[in-house]
Amino acid sequence: MNTREYIESGQLEAFVLGALSPQEQAQVQADIDRNPELAKEVAAIEEAMFRFASQEAMSPDPAMQDKIWSAIQASQPGGGEEEQARQSALILPLSPALRHTRFSRAAVWLALVGSMALNTIFWYQNSRQKQDSLAMSTRLDSMQANQKLLAQIVDNYTRGKNMMADTSMQTIVMHTVLKGHPMAATLYWSKDKGEAYVMMDALPEPPKGMQYQLWAIQGGKPVDMGVLPMDMASTAIIQKVGRPIASGEAFAISLEKAGGSPTPTAGNIYVMGKS
Amino acid sequence: MPPVATYSEEELVLLLRQQNRDAFNYLYKNYAGVLFGVIHKVIADDETANDVLQEAFVKIWNNIAQYDPNKGRIYTWMLNIARNSAIDKLRSKGEIMKGKIQSGEDAVNNVQKGMRSEQATDTIGLRKMVAGLKPEYEIVVNMAYFNGYTLDEISKTLNIPLGTVKTRMRSAMQQLREVFKN
Repeated sequence: MNTREYIESGQLEAFVLGALSPQEQAQVQADIDRNPELAKEVAAIEEAMFRFASQEAMSPDPAMQDKIWSAIQASQPGGGEEEQARQSALILPLSPALRHTRFSRAAVWLALVGSMALNTIFWYQNSRQKQDSLAMSTRLDSMQANQKLLAQIVDNYTRGKNMMADTSMQTIVMHTVLKGHPMAATLYWSKDKGEAYVMMDALPEPPKGMQYQLWAIQGGKPVDMGVLPMDMASTAIIQKVGRPIASGEAFAISLEKAGGSPTPTAGNIYVMGKS
Repeated sequence: MPPVATYSEEELVLLLRQQNRDAFNYLYKNYAGVLFGVIHKVIADDETANDVLQEAFVKIWNNIAQYDPNKGRIYTWMLNIARNSAIDKLRSKGEIMKGKIQSGEDAVNNVQKGMRSEQATDTIGLRKMVAGLKPEYEIVVNMAYFNGYTLDEISKTLNIPLGTVKTRMRSAMQQLREVFKN
């Protein structure tokens, strides 16, 4: 219904005449607040209705004026006119009262104590609000951190899915080299693209100050393919290898000091697999 | 007794918010007649109408701080308080039930009675034009405004469709607007 139709429907007249249900009345009021054209129309209807009602004017009982004023006084908290009189009586003797130093001193103290009490209350409220807002921002921070973590996990899965879907991808399982230590890691390698991904779900977490390092065996020699993040051992995280791998007869992972070594430390090669 | 336009609407609100006797006297002098007229149209009994007038003035006085000029004019606001107080009184006395089984014919009679009482006051020229409102328009206005009927109740009482009630209200108001143009 457009504004024109709304106006012509008679709904606004019904509103002014008070013939709508409370819900409809509230709805029309909301419509009026939004639409100045409706507000203008309602004002015109109200004006007409007021003029119409004015024609019905009748004089009430002449005694009513005083009676109503008394009723108004009686309805005021603290007794209306008397209260007003008392208030002005309090204001008038203010300058003579200054001579009564004892009284004014007491008043000053009272005001001071009152003000201090208020200060304390406000300070307390303020500090509570600060605490609340701190707690809120802490919660927000942890939510953001959680979200970031989730985004990383989703990203990992997406990459993993894309990687698995790649038909040129070769899966190389690297098995344990150390007897009695069942360990394994997996390398996904696309020779065409030179891309590789590594997962170390069956390798123990590296001890402090140590880090796993990936090697490609090219022409019988281990070539450094970079260190692997500390936190991905024993997890299903699939990490893209930072360097392109064009060739390699075999791949291996060794435990090195944090930051990596130029050549793998003998005896620390944990897993190895042929391509 | 139309209000003497001594104060503008804004001035009147400011005056009332001062809450002193002068403000009350001004309010009473200018609006008691209009408010009493509306109340008396709802409640025929003089004594009860006077009581309601008192209630309405007390409400106006004590709620002037809540009056929002953006939601409508001060006159309308006061008129609605008077009208609602009167209809509330009518309901509390159970008289509304009598009113609800009133036939459409009675409603017409009430309208005509209302027109007669209007003629007792001044401004004859205007009166004639108001009296010229088609009876079917005036019934719906009176039923809604002075008897507190809802659209639905008017539709059922007069046995006319709800949409027709609304268009008659619109036509009635259009006619009043035309009459009161100046």
